[in-house]
Amino acid sequence: MAKIIVVTSGKGGVGKTTSAAAIATGLALRGNKTVVIDFDVGLRNLDLIMGCERRVVYDLVNVIQGEAGLKQAMIRDKRSENLHILPASQTRDKDALTLEGVEKVLMDLSEEFDYIICDSPAGIERGAQLALYFADEAVVVTNPEVSSVRDSDRILGLLSSKSRRAEQNREPIKEHLLVTRYNPNRVDDGDMLNLDDIREILAIDLVGLIPESEAVLRASNQGVPVIHDDKSDAGQAYADTVSRLMGEDVPLRFQSVQKRGLIARMFGGGGRR
Amino acid sequence: MSLNRDRADTAFTFKGGMLPMTVMELSSGDPERIRAQLAGKVSQAPAFFQHTPVVLSVEQLDEPHLALERICAVCRAHKLLPVAVRGGSDPVKQSAWALGLGWFPPQESRPRAVEPRPVEAPVEAELPVPPPEVSVHAGGRIHRGTVRSGQQISASEGDLVVIGAVNPGAEVLAAGSVHVYGSLRGRALAGIHGDREAGIFCHDLHAELLSVAGTYKRLEDIDPKILGCSVQVQLKEDQLRISALN
Repeated sequence: MAKIIVVTSGKGGVGKTTSAAAIATGLALRGNKTVVIDFDVGLRNLDLIMGCERRVVYDLVNVIQGEAGLKQAMIRDKRSENLHILPASQTRDKDALTLEGVEKVLMDLSEEFDYIICDSPAGIERGAQLALYFADEAVVVTNPEVSSVRDSDRILGLLSSKSRRAEQNREPIKEHLLVTRYNPNRVDDGDMLNLDDIREILAIDLVGLIPESEAVLRASNQGVPVIHDDKSDAGQAYADTVSRLMGEDVPLRFQSVQKRGLIARMFGGGGRR
Repeated sequence: MSLNRDRADTAFTFKGGMLPMTVMELSSGDPERIRAQLAGKVSQAPAFFQHTPVVLSVEQLDEPHLALERICAVCRAHKLLPVAVRGGSDPVKQSAWALGLGWFPPQESRPRAVEPRPVEAPVEAELPVPPPEVSVHAGGRIHRGTVRSGQQISASEGDLVVIGAVNPGAEVLAAGSVHVYGSLRGRALAGIHGDREAGIFCHDLHAELLSVAGTYKRLEDIDPKILGCSVQVQLKEDQLRISALN
């Protein structure tokens, strides 16, 4: 049986798809058979981040409506043979998804894969609720700003009330906090919420801290999940996150301002501030 | 499963709501006495009588049968719209329903001693102070865990105890008092049925809204010096008083 992990946030633009792509890739690189599903029907993005947009023929809606088989719709990743992508439809909307259809797709995938990563759409409506309904675990992506924290809080409420586990009174969804776009300089300046404030409000376990990084935008535009860029801070932070998701104990990095050397300070002139 | 419901198919949704409502506390069941008093009121405050919905409270009356239909007619004649009856015997309940009115059970949670009975006359004298009023509420509720944005936890009877934080955008309500053993960052409403003795007690005050028996304060109205403190909130002389605990 696969473990179903939903990557969700409530708020848009916080890095759900980037995180889903990086986490799925990281799990696959560790030898787990992994599939990542784009639930954002109508605003398909995951295929771009994964760099497989030119190979999309069928999509999740086709599978749910019986117009294509799972094998036809799934795209094998070019870089890792353990990783498959199930894209969303760009031409339909979220009403095309049905609960029974989603359940059947997840059950079928469950037999073959170790991990199923569901990339949730933003919002708290039907699309987001369907993405989280069958989840075993949830990665709640949050930026260090008040609106993102509030929306994550709202999603945590839905996870504990509107999921199948909640409705069947089973063990609740395991919730993980993933803080993205964290900039220690701006935290020190008071522009951003600090990690402790976020953790205090959301009151769930931290699974990762991704620093704000140029590598993320570059990776998105190149269609290579940032976790492949193992020289970059964000790539390393996602690798740590994947380790923690797999149950390893890894120390937290990138939380404080990295001391710049004397030379860098002399010639950098503090331009990054 | 709620997710299966097609949005286009729903003609309505049920929502909880709290509306301010005038309660007409009857101390007599005689329609003529009510008429006489109403006529006087109308001349004093004509603006109030604009088809104002009222709840007829008959809790103080001991009569098993009431001329409910005539009382309603008197009210309507003075532009008051009775929408429901509170309290009274079973025949009163039946006749309320027959007249198309709602019926509410009598309000037990309100401490009786607070409302001096007319019989007792003013007892303002220097009598020995009665034992301190402790609102004891049956049927309260304990919630363990964080109350998150968008969630509403309420105790329709008694006190609500939250063991955890109440986050921004969350709402906690109780007929009695609200106790939060954690940060209070959302909205807290105590005494939602009008219990003026109810209070709000919390660690780490950052509430968006505090209300006791309908009297409220917004975060903006709260003295910033008291934010972050352990406090109690009580209703004193129609004002919310926030004071530090300890």
